[in-house]
Amino acid sequence: MGKEVPVANKIKTDLHEILDIRHLTDSTFVLRIEKKDLDFEAGQHVCVGPPNGIHTREYSIYSAEQDDCLEILVKEVENGLVSPSLKKVQKGGYVVVEEPVGYFTINKDLPADQKYVFIASGTGISPFHSFVKSKSNLNYTLLHGVKKADEAYDSDVYEKGKYVLCTSQDTKGDYNGRVTSYLKDNKFGTDVHYYLCGNCNMIHDVYDILEEQGVSTDNIHAEVYF
Amino acid sequence: MKKKVGFKTLGCRLNQFETDALASKFVGLGYEVAEDSRNADVFVVNTCTVTNQSDQKSRSVVNKAINQGHTGMMIITGCMANHHKEQLEKRYPNAYVVNNEQKSAIPQLVEAHFNKEILPANESKGGVFSYVPAAETFHTRSMIKIQDGCDNYCTFCIIPKVRGRAVSRSVDDILENIRQVVGFGYKEVVITGVNISRYLSDGVGFSGLLKQIVDIDLDFRVRISSIEPDSFDDDFFKLLEHPKITPHLHLCLQSASESVLLQMRRMYTYKLYKRIVEKLRNINPLFNITTDIIVGFPGETESDFAQSLSALEELGFGHVHTFKYSKREDTRAARMTKVIDEREKSKRSELMRQKSLHAKIKYRQQFIGQSLSVLIDTVKDDFSKGYGEYYVPVKINQKLEKNHLHTLTITGIETGGDDPCLIAERIAL
Ligand SMILES: Cc1cc2nc3c(=O)[nH]c(=O)nc-3n(C[C@H](O)[C@H](O)[C@H](O)COP(=O)(O)OP(=O)(O)OC[C@H]3O[C@@H](n4cnc5c(N)ncnc54)[C@H](O)[C@@H]3O)c2cc1C
Repeated sequence: MGKEVPVANKIKTDLHEILDIRHLTDSTFVLRIEKKDLDFEAGQHVCVGPPNGIHTREYSIYSAEQDDCLEILVKEVENGLVSPSLKKVQKGGYVVVEEPVGYFTINKDLPADQKYVFIASGTGISPFHSFVKSKSNLNYTLLHGVKKADEAYDSDVYEKGKYVLCTSQDTKGDYNGRVTSYLKDNKFGTDVHYYLCGNCNMIHDVYDILEEQGVSTDNIHAEVYF
Repeated sequence: MKKKVGFKTLGCRLNQFETDALASKFVGLGYEVAEDSRNADVFVVNTCTVTNQSDQKSRSVVNKAINQGHTGMMIITGCMANHHKEQLEKRYPNAYVVNNEQKSAIPQLVEAHFNKEILPANESKGGVFSYVPAAETFHTRSMIKIQDGCDNYCTFCIIPKVRGRAVSRSVDDILENIRQVVGFGYKEVVITGVNISRYLSDGVGFSGLLKQIVDIDLDFRVRISSIEPDSFDDDFFKLLEHPKITPHLHLCLQSASESVLLQMRRMYTYKLYKRIVEKLRNINPLFNITTDIIVGFPGETESDFAQSLSALEELGFGHVHTFKYSKREDTRAARMTKVIDEREKSKRSELMRQKSLHAKIKYRQQFIGQSLSVLIDTVKDDFSKGYGEYYVPVKINQKLEKNHLHTLTITGIETGGDDPCLIAERIAL
């Protein structure tokens, strides 16, 4: 028989030091973690958990590919298991991090001037933050659906006119209503690649709207959080 | 009766802590827990490797259990498993050697083992396809393992946790393996792995690999086993027209409801799946598409289920493997709240089973009057049996040569069981 057939790579896990915690709202924070040798492609996620437990959860990487640390954007889920304990970790402490994984990445075969529309709900903005910070001259529009305008996480990072804050429960956003309504009112065309990230219901509805607008499913990419 | 899991812990307090955590997980899953291997269905040795002596001690615990007649599942974990994995796998070929990083997934591993979803890593080496008994495949079809692991993270699936990250075997190794088995006399190779459509080695993707396989200048046919419908390119569809590639795909659907597919974090929509099926049937109107469907996934409404049922007719499946959703700890779906009642799941499963049998008969009846190239794998006194290129069973009341391809004309179908066999006309020998 030939050489041995490889057996799946065991998932590599390591303890990473917490370098900083930046609170964006009462419930949402950015955890900056030591990167060690973890390379990743923007859009991928890591599983992260407290150092003393056996549970981890998936978090999209928020930072840029070239940064020398890793960042994740976490929203504390009430009665959740992992996110509340991540909120309690302290600078100088540790978290368990598994190596990055996932296919929610930008296809390298697409032309450099490809137009993208990124559609996020809540912390679903995280991979888009990483796309924008990792790749210069990205031709994009980012639609961010939140309840209230204070959830416009780090919106100053995005170029003016490229970020559209859609608020459903106050009128302080760029658009007063859900991202789904925005999309119905504003068509972006069928040549565009659409990236959808966040909760299932938003993704489901956006799929329907885009398909109605004639967008091929080949041009729609989704990352479901919950 | 409750299954019994025995533990032996060596070394530090962290190990003891982890054993206790594991034991309580097993209790939660309905197992009885004991502190030795006697009468245990599963024996977990949580090893230590801090000194040579601890290595020896760890080994002697394993040996003692075996000498005392432990024949159940054996799991060796802990630091020694991390440091001496290969050595341990060689020495104890029937044991699962689980490194520390995966220790917490041992309960899932055990369940997967008892559900026959996995085998110890060593047994899956050497191109042996894990769910087909070796005797059945001997000199008929050979399983060629091209990759292992999966990075898809479907919410119901424990495989990434127990199997690990996707890794692909080199093209040269695969081609060499195929030349070898065809040399041994195999007429059919089955391309297999955990998630084969994501094959990637040195820039060669699945279609690239398939092209090199069909280009091997030997006489054999290629069957693609279970595949995920999420990353097909145009080259793949072109390759399916190649005479060496059999017109059959086990294309996992899981649900025909778009919202359930999203909850499952599948990487395709039902619409995309349908388009793939259309393309396959354009290549060959009889293309056999078989699939897996999960019924009773958390939150699956009557209407979601009805969509899966109608997919059977819409897509004309040749076979559907119906799974009643069962919760696997440590998966995202296990934390979902809208759980479907067990009785309702059974009802849906039975409906799905009946309808899929109907679809299967309808699909197979299309072959009556057609000629099929049948690879005979079973020869008894008064009949021979095998599979045609579409992977449909064919029976003939005649003794034919085993492991040979015979062109047979189909005259009828034997109904009655769950796997209706096509009947072929006797041939002149
Ligand atoms: C690929 C992937 C990437 C992810 N990336 C991020 C990320 O960048 N940032 C982030 O905050 N979360 C992200 N998540 C969600 C994250 O993995 C956890 O599910 C979340 O932090 C809750 O975990 P928990 O243990 O606190 O709650 P659990 O105990 O696991 O769950 C409690 C309940 O909360 C629901 N829930 C999960 N996430 C949310 C949410 N954000 N808002 C409201 N309800 C929720 C679950 O459906 C569940 O019913 C991602 C999920 C996936 C699959």
